[in-house]
Amino acid sequence: MITLYDYILSVNCYKLRLLMSILDVEYTSVPIDFYPGWEHKGAAFKKINRLGHIPVIDDDGFVLRDSHAIMVYLASKYDPARRWYPVDDARLLGETASWLLFAEGTTNTASAARLHVNLGYDFDLAAVQAAAHRLFRVLDEHLWFQEHRRLDWVASAGHPTIADLAIFPDIALSEEGGIARRDYPALRRWTARVQRIPGFTAMPGIFPIAPAAVAENRPS
Amino acid sequence: MGLSLRHPENGWFPVAAAEDLPLRHVYAGQLAGHELAIWRADDGNINVWEDRCVHRGVRLSIGQNDGAELMCQYHGWRYANRTGGCTYIPAHPADAPAQTICTRTFPAVERYGLIWSSIDSLGDVPTVDVLVDVRDTVELVVLRSLPFDATPDHVMERLAGHTFAPASNLRPDAEPAIACDPMPGLGVALTSTAGRHSTTVVFFVQPVDADRSIVRPVLVASDGEAIDLDVLIHHAHALDDLRSLVEGEAKSREKPPKLSPPFESVADPSDAHREPRSAPLRVRVASKYDTATGIMAFELAPLGGALPSFQPGAHIDVHLPNGLVRQYSLTNGPHETDVYRIGVKLAIPSTGGSTCLHENVREGDVLAISEPHNNFTLRRDALQTILIAGGIGVTPLLSMAKTIARTGLDWMLHYFVQATDHVAFAPDLDRLGDRVATHLGLGADETVIELERILATTSEHAHVYICGPAPMLDAARRVASDSGWPDSSVHFEYFENTSVVSDSSEFEISLARSALTLRVRSGETILEVLRANGVPMPSSCEQGACGTCFVRVIDGIPDHQDVYMNDAEHAGNDRVATCVSRSLSDRLILDI
Repeated sequence: MITLYDYILSVNCYKLRLLMSILDVEYTSVPIDFYPGWEHKGAAFKKINRLGHIPVIDDDGFVLRDSHAIMVYLASKYDPARRWYPVDDARLLGETASWLLFAEGTTNTASAARLHVNLGYDFDLAAVQAAAHRLFRVLDEHLWFQEHRRLDWVASAGHPTIADLAIFPDIALSEEGGIARRDYPALRRWTARVQRIPGFTAMPGIFPIAPAAVAENRPS
Repeated sequence: MGLSLRHPENGWFPVAAAEDLPLRHVYAGQLAGHELAIWRADDGNINVWEDRCVHRGVRLSIGQNDGAELMCQYHGWRYANRTGGCTYIPAHPADAPAQTICTRTFPAVERYGLIWSSIDSLGDVPTVDVLVDVRDTVELVVLRSLPFDATPDHVMERLAGHTFAPASNLRPDAEPAIACDPMPGLGVALTSTAGRHSTTVVFFVQPVDADRSIVRPVLVASDGEAIDLDVLIHHAHALDDLRSLVEGEAKSREKPPKLSPPFESVADPSDAHREPRSAPLRVRVASKYDTATGIMAFELAPLGGALPSFQPGAHIDVHLPNGLVRQYSLTNGPHETDVYRIGVKLAIPSTGGSTCLHENVREGDVLAISEPHNNFTLRRDALQTILIAGGIGVTPLLSMAKTIARTGLDWMLHYFVQATDHVAFAPDLDRLGDRVATHLGLGADETVIELERILATTSEHAHVYICGPAPMLDAARRVASDSGWPDSSVHFEYFENTSVVSDSSEFEISLARSALTLRVRSGETILEVLRANGVPMPSSCEQGACGTCFVRVIDGIPDHQDVYMNDAEHAGNDRVATCVSRSLSDRLILDI
């Protein structure tokens, strides 16, 4: 059984809830009083993660920290089709790793702006917002090109990978950090596609959306 | 063309690419400071709306496009395709939203692969010669658009010096020559030539705000020329280079203040709806056809613009050429907003309404109709909905079935009808699938037995809607009551009031808000007395069946003669049908 040291408003915890929901993996959530209690910086939690940050999982005694590392682990262990972390295709795996690193960038900019606005962190707001816009421009261009290659996701596969889920929450919550997405139509279409992945789960500020293709007046 | 980017509210501009509007998506756009929610309904109609729910101001662009309606993400208010009229407020599930609750809409035209709109809707969508003249032999390719943090004029100025390679020769050493053809107020057409290779691209400039622009390039591909991803990337990167240059310059230029477009307030509810028997709409009979034995279907199309929004269960007053006014329910689902569709049964004997429509009104005729009224509203939050139709009473229930079928909630339509050839709107019913049960040719007793079966199991999560001829409706209400259904879960609409109305009593009415006391004599109705004394009153059927002319009673005991309210509502004595009901007490104090 998996235990997730969790905080409902954390984008990095949400990425794992999202992946486990999509993969239909059961887990127990242990809430950490991240704000305003700073429990993750307390002595007790530091016994679980010496770095004092969340998320952390405990899978039958195997303890792992860092959201992207945990996504690699969960996808490798619980996705028998080997699509979410596509280890059988070298190029795809390389692209996935590259976009996972891109997600570090969006977390350090877009989500930093959100932490500053919402949770009392002290960042140079204008600087992180401007840096986020630079990344959004690159991602929007990439996704527009992908659409013209008839590809829906950040890596060049016919299916999403953990890289999509890693980037998604930073983007979907960017307005909370004062970063508008009106300039990024391809990015907005991609977030809608992520929201329609079967098994998608919501978090405060991120809604599920209705399926794109419901048969009109379906009989049952 | 007389357009100027200095006055961006005057004129038409591209606001999105057609490919920006995939199925069930809402695009977030902006023009002249107005934030826009742009979406395509499943019927292909494109909506350009102010990006603001009139309820709490939340952006509609984060809402959900369900193919027929746009739902606000915040409190679930729903707005109709075309008009932007509010169709449903989940916090008031039993009420029809006022006709005046409407989001601001802007025109939308698709041209050159782009969606065009205009704030003040003056003039026409511009035509661009280079894109029009050769349209039969060329293909237009919408390139990647790019937002610029710079004024539209600044962007126009620098676009004139923009360079790119011809599509058929992207080699960096091609050194193309660029010919510039300015399009004042709109953008610039550039032709790149290198040797025998040549490509024209029209760059439209969308004035997003005083200090922001979007460049939307459209490439003219010659006959048979392949425009592959390399060309798209070449242009995207070239335009990105231009953006870096322009935004660098913009930092040292004075930034104009942002435009601050006013938000228009929702219109005053004291509209034409309050006028007696008003028929503000003119519609054309677009189609008239037999839909069943003795039943004609009419499709009524607007003469211009869009038809007012409606909710399931709504009816319109149709003003006939012979001077009569008749009410007909709309059969439309929320995804059918282009025409109103009604079914008219030839009444035997006819008092002149149905005969006139069947025999005299022809396709192409213009009729005067009212806006839709709705006194038979459908809740969209019941886990189970049971619709029971008798004969032509199927019309409002068909509209309800089409609505509820889109939600995923449980529902069933029971249609009691004489024989197969009497089944109206059969193709629509077929599309609804096996949730439509047709009960053919049952006598009165058999009908009751079937109703008892249908209504056997009550549920607090279920609602029942009944419409049909009076004997069948009376029977269904009685069965529902005997089976333990509470009045609050059973909704009905009579076509007409078949009971004998007495108008012999004499009494006084006091109008609490108007400080008027009036005498209603025998032979007069409250409605007539009110109107004769200058009190504007809405009405529709004027026989106590539709609920339009009801007013609140503050004191006194009404003598109810309507068939609109149920027994509990009658016993509450807090509303009265001014067209037929009277007073048991000497005086009624009315809240008008």
